[in-house]
Amino acid sequence: MRNGLERVDADVHPHFDRGVATLEPYLDAAGKRRVLGSAFGQAWAAEAYASQFTLPKNDLYINPGGVMRRDTYTPDGSVPGSDPDLLVEQLVEGCDVDRAVLTCGNTMGLGALADPDLAARVASAVNEWMLERWLQHDRRLRGSLLVAPQDATLAAAEIDRMAGRDGFVQVHMPMREGLIGERHYWPIYAAAERHGLPVAIHPNSVDTIYRHAPNIAGGTPTYYIEWHSTLTEIFQAAVISLVCQGVFERFPGLKVVVTEGGFAWLVDVLWRMDKNWESLREEVPWLKRRPSEYVFDHVRFTTQPFPEPERPEHLAAVCEIVQADRTLLFSSDYPHWDFDNPLRAIAKLPEQTRRRVQADNAVELYGDRLL
Amino acid sequence: MARHVVCRADELPPGGVREVEVGGRSIGVLNVDGTLYALRNVCPHQGAPLCRGTVGGTMLPSRPQEWVYGRDGQVLRCPWHGWEFDLTTGRSLIDPARVRVKAYPVAVEEGNVVVEV
Repeated sequence: MRNGLERVDADVHPHFDRGVATLEPYLDAAGKRRVLGSAFGQAWAAEAYASQFTLPKNDLYINPGGVMRRDTYTPDGSVPGSDPDLLVEQLVEGCDVDRAVLTCGNTMGLGALADPDLAARVASAVNEWMLERWLQHDRRLRGSLLVAPQDATLAAAEIDRMAGRDGFVQVHMPMREGLIGERHYWPIYAAAERHGLPVAIHPNSVDTIYRHAPNIAGGTPTYYIEWHSTLTEIFQAAVISLVCQGVFERFPGLKVVVTEGGFAWLVDVLWRMDKNWESLREEVPWLKRRPSEYVFDHVRFTTQPFPEPERPEHLAAVCEIVQADRTLLFSSDYPHWDFDNPLRAIAKLPEQTRRRVQADNAVELYGDRLL
Repeated sequence: MARHVVCRADELPPGGVREVEVGGRSIGVLNVDGTLYALRNVCPHQGAPLCRGTVGGTMLPSRPQEWVYGRDGQVLRCPWHGWEFDLTTGRSLIDPARVRVKAYPVAVEEGNVVVEV
């Protein structure tokens, strides 16, 4: 296959091994004081919980099996995804993955923090950690450059600071309340476009739980299964917002990656947007083409959790409609509980589509940064 | 049926799990409170090493908003996606007729754990 890459995994999560305290080496004196608190360094404060804050956690919904694959706990019982050697052994070598794109699993909810300066400092420290502990550890690992979405100017500066460092292939922009097509975010898109980095969005761990987190329509779900099944709404709204606000006309080089946000819903969203555009085009005259064409040209979707309908031909039909040959990127979500096995999950796709989804689409999207 | 010695019985105490290769197949042997079980160690869903999952019970079918816990020690939950299997039969709880793993006879004979494959 092209450039020798046969299997790319676009969504893998490394985790802190010591909670927020993991970031200590990557914070300056003021950052340590602000993020970790004045008591940090004392024995009793070594735990992340003793810092002045913990990154937003989802303490509301309880997955009966836990949110981590049970066989990813390290032999000494520490955090899944916190040991680079084990991640490489289980995923990269264990599943013949040529490139794994890492997105920090502890900071999905960064957008829900109320303090934009605190969030920006955390993002910078995470990027240094990503570079030193992961990207420089194994040449098959690539990373997401984390930005805090609260202040788009600070986020753009962080992109400018880190985009040239070896190993980053995309920006990860945690989401917050509001829709991501809005002008607030445009400096981030300008910076990403300038550096040729796609912008990835991902479920935020704390969706609908915190006031500043993205909200699920209608109300607060009761059960984990309800919450987890409803998360795709956020991505439907995000894609529609990006298209209708004209983001892809304003930033024609911009690509957006909808990570772990599903894609089967796209069938209805494409049809509905196109039909509406025929009647309502005048309201959004900056759209020069059908809404669906912007999606096909600018938005990519990762596969996990891959749909498993009873009849495979139903999946084939969906893949044809959403143009999977262009738009889908394989992902495993290692080490999370709903991990898709790179060797099996998409095996039933037609051969040509499978090859595109498994590697070629990612190579086209990320280009030389992936190779 | 071929008989395969897994280990000495004292090497598989209650709570213990052994994974063995027999004829190219991975089989998991579990000791749950003194009762031995042997199952094909590959989840039919996505190929996870099933026997590295957790043994316990489950919530029994109930009326809405009622929780009734039962079958403690009889259910194996896959380490990846949490699919549940009956330890005795290898049949899944979600679709017992179609989703199942092979269960093998296993016993202690002359101080050894022996599985029939």
